[in-house]
Amino acid sequence: MASLSEEVLLVVKKVRQRKQDGTLYLMAERIAWGPEGKDRFTVSHLYADIRCQKISPDGKAKIQLQLVLHTGESTTFHFSNESSALKDRDAAKELLQQLLPKFKKKANKELEEKNRMLQEDPVLFQLYKDLVVSQVISADEFWANRLGDINNTDPAPYNNKQEVGISGAFLADIRPQTDGCNGLRYNLTADIIESIFRTYPAVKQKYSENVPHNLTEKEFWTRFFQSHYFHRDRINTGTQDIFSECAKQDEKGLKSMVVQGVKNPLVDLLSLEDKTLDEGYGVSSGPPSTSNLNRSVKESSNAAIIKRFNHHSAMVLAAGSRKGLSHLSSVAIEYEDLQRKNRPKTVALNLKKSDRYAHGPVPLLSQHYTTSQDIINSVNHIRHEMVNYKPNLTQVLSSTAATSAIAALSPGGVLMVAGAQQAINQMVPTEVQGELKHLYAAAGELLRHFWSCFPVNTPFLEEKVMKMKSNLERFQMTKLSPFQEKIQRQYLSTNLTGHLEEMLQTAYSKFHIWQTRRMMRKT
Amino acid sequence: MASEDEINLLVIVVDVNPIWWGQQAQREPEFTLSKCLDAVMVMGNAHMAMTRTNKLAVIASHCQDSHFLYPSKSWRGGDSGAEDASSSGDGKYELLSIANNLIAEEIRNVMSKTEVRGNSTDTLLAGSLAKALCCILSIKTVYSFQHLRHVIKAAEDCALQYMNFMNVIFAAQKQNILIDACVLDSDSGLLQQACDITGGLYLKIPQKLALAQYLLWVFLPDSEQRSQLVLPPPAHVDYRAACFCHRNLIEVGYVCSVCLSIFCNFSPICTTCETAFKIQLPQMVKPKKKKLKQST
Repeated sequence: MASLSEEVLLVVKKVRQRKQDGTLYLMAERIAWGPEGKDRFTVSHLYADIRCQKISPDGKAKIQLQLVLHTGESTTFHFSNESSALKDRDAAKELLQQLLPKFKKKANKELEEKNRMLQEDPVLFQLYKDLVVSQVISADEFWANRLGDINNTDPAPYNNKQEVGISGAFLADIRPQTDGCNGLRYNLTADIIESIFRTYPAVKQKYSENVPHNLTEKEFWTRFFQSHYFHRDRINTGTQDIFSECAKQDEKGLKSMVVQGVKNPLVDLLSLEDKTLDEGYGVSSGPPSTSNLNRSVKESSNAAIIKRFNHHSAMVLAAGSRKGLSHLSSVAIEYEDLQRKNRPKTVALNLKKSDRYAHGPVPLLSQHYTTSQDIINSVNHIRHEMVNYKPNLTQVLSSTAATSAIAALSPGGVLMVAGAQQAINQMVPTEVQGELKHLYAAAGELLRHFWSCFPVNTPFLEEKVMKMKSNLERFQMTKLSPFQEKIQRQYLSTNLTGHLEEMLQTAYSKFHIWQTRRMMRKT
Repeated sequence: MASEDEINLLVIVVDVNPIWWGQQAQREPEFTLSKCLDAVMVMGNAHMAMTRTNKLAVIASHCQDSHFLYPSKSWRGGDSGAEDASSSGDGKYELLSIANNLIAEEIRNVMSKTEVRGNSTDTLLAGSLAKALCCILSIKTVYSFQHLRHVIKAAEDCALQYMNFMNVIFAAQKQNILIDACVLDSDSGLLQQACDITGGLYLKIPQKLALAQYLLWVFLPDSEQRSQLVLPPPAHVDYRAACFCHRNLIEVGYVCSVCLSIFCNFSPICTTCETAFKIQLPQMVKPKKKKLKQST
C-alpha cells in the first residue's frame, strides 16, 4: 500500500481498469490504481515514467484516460461513475497536465546531458569507448566527476545554440490551397505553429485551454483560420468566436506598447514623420475630418489593417526579445575611451639608471685588450694592403679547401651533426601517434581516479583504490601491452610507451607501500 | 618563372673593421681582407648571374661609418663607368664586371680614408643593418612582389649597439626579411638571435679559406629553395637575459615589479628605480623569481 509519507493529491472512485472496478489515486510522485476492496495497488506509475496522457474524444460513450509510458506500454482507465465521470476524468487530466511536465524533465535530463556531452566532445567520447565499453571501469565511475549536479544547475548555460528567430512573414507563408470544391487547405507545420504561439501568447493560452478536451487540434486551427481574428477585416462581430478575446487583448497590448515608446537611443522615430516641403507635396491638408462618412469607413478599415500590421510586427519583435537576448544598453552610444574617467592615481616611474636597459647581454669587461700601438699597426697594415687591391676572382678558392668545406657541409660532416637526430614525430606514422594519444588519455583518466583516492581515509576510498589498481592492471594488460608489441613488431625500437609504463609503475609502488602500511597497522 | 616585377635583392654587409682585419692579416696572411672581398664578389656575381631580376647591394661596415660599396653614387654617371668596364676584355657579363670594379674602387676609397681613433674600435653593425634595411624597403615600395635577403659577414661583437640592433632585427622580422650570418671569428649571440627570429641561417665557418664555398653552398639559395636542401641545422640560441648588475647570463633571477630590471641577487632596494621591497621574516623571504626557459 502507499507509504504514509506520500501525499495523495486526488482520489477518484469508480475507475475501471482492465474491466475491473477500482479507485485511482494521484500522489505527489506517482499515479496508482487499486481494485475495489483490495488494499494494494496493482498499477503504479511514476510521473517520470509517463511520456504522455491521452483522453477519449468528447463524443464517445466511454470516458477514458490513457497513460503512455516511455517504454511504449500504455494503461487505460475508464471512468465509470454515472454522474461525474466526465468531471472526474477532467480533474485527473488537469492534475496530470500540471504534474507531468515537472517530472518529465528530470528523468530524461541526465541521459540527455550525457548524450550531449559525448556528442560534443570527441575526446570524451573516445575515452568513454576506451574505458567503459571495454569494461576497464564502470560507467558510474566515469560519470562520477563529470556530470556535476544536474538538478541544481541552470540548463541555460548549456544551450550554446542560438535561438531561432521568427520570420515576420510566417503567417503569410501559410498559403491556402484550394481544395477543389470551394474549400481551402492550410498547411500548418510545427514551425509555423511554434511561431504563432511565440508571437501571440494569447493564442497559445487559448490552445492550452481548449485542446484537447474541447476541440481537437484540427478543429482549433480551423476555427482559428476562420475567425476574423486571422482575416484582414478584423471587425469584431459576434462574440461566439473564441478568438474575439484575443483581439481585445491585442488592442490592449498595442496601446500599452505605444505608451511605452521605443527605448532605443539610436533610433529616432520622430524623424520618420512626414515632413512637408511645400503645399501640395505630401501635405496633410488640415486635420482629418471625421464628418465625411465614406472616408471614415475607408480610413477605419485602412487604419485597422495598419494597426494589425504594426501589432504583428511589434509582437514578432517582442517574441524575439522576450528571452532577454538583446537590449541596447547605454554602451552603444558612449565611447568609453573618450570619456574622462577617474583613473586611480598612479605614481610615475622614476628610473635612475636607465642606460642599463640598453646594454646587451655581454659582460661589461671586454675580452680583448688592444693597445693603441696595436691599433695603429693594424690600421696601417690594412691600409697598405688595400691600396692596391684588385679582385682576383680566379684564385678565390683552392680545390682542397673547397672539398673540405663540402665534406663539412655534407650529412655527417662537422657542421651537420645536430641534424642527424630526426624528430620522433617524423618517424612514427600518424595512426600510431593517434593510438598513443588515446592511450595517454585513458591512462590519465585511470590514474586520476587512482591518485584521487589518496589519502585513504574511508572504507569507500579503500575499496575504490583497490578497484582502481585492478583497473590499471587490466588496462595495462588489455591495451598497453598489445600496443607495445605491435610497435615493436612493425617499427623502430623507439620507446614510445616508456613514460606510460613509468607512470603505472609509480602507481603500483604507491599502492604497494600503502598496502604494506595497512598490513602493519592491522598486525 | 619569376615575373618581371619580382626582384630578388641580396644585400651583403661586410665587416671591414680595419683593426680586426689588420690583426688577422698578421695572424694568418693567407686569408686577408682582399681574399674575403674576393669571395664576397664571387657570391655577388653568382647571385646576379642566376636571374636577370636579381639585384645586389654591398655595404661595408666600418668602425667609423657604413658605406655602400655597390651600387655607388659614382655609378649613376652611367656611360663613363661602362667604358672602363668593357675594357676588361674577358667577355664577362658587363653587369658583373662593372659591379666588381665598383666594389674594388669603393673599398679602396674607404680603406684609404680610415683614420685611427682609439675609442671607437667596434664595428657599427647596427647602423649598417639599418642602412641595408632602408635600402631594401625603399625598393620594396616601388616593386610589387619580391623576395628579399640580407647576408652579413662579421668578425666580432659589440654590446653598446644592443638596443639599435634589436630594433633593426624586429623591423626586419616584421617586413619578412631574412637575415643570414656568416661568422669568421667568434660566435655572436646577437647575430644568432637575429637569424633565429627572422628565419635565416647562422654559420660559423671552421675554415676561413673556404669562405667562397660556404657562401655559395649555404647562403646563395633563397628561402624557398632552402626548404628543399639539406643545410646545417639551426644552432641552439641562448636567449638568457643578462642581470643588470654584472651582465652575467642567468636562468633564474629576481625581477623588480616596478621597472622590470633583472638582478641575480636579492637586494631590498631596486637600484634602478629605488623601490623598497619589504623583507618579511628571513626564512620566509619570497623573492620574485623569474624562470627563464631556454628555447630548444
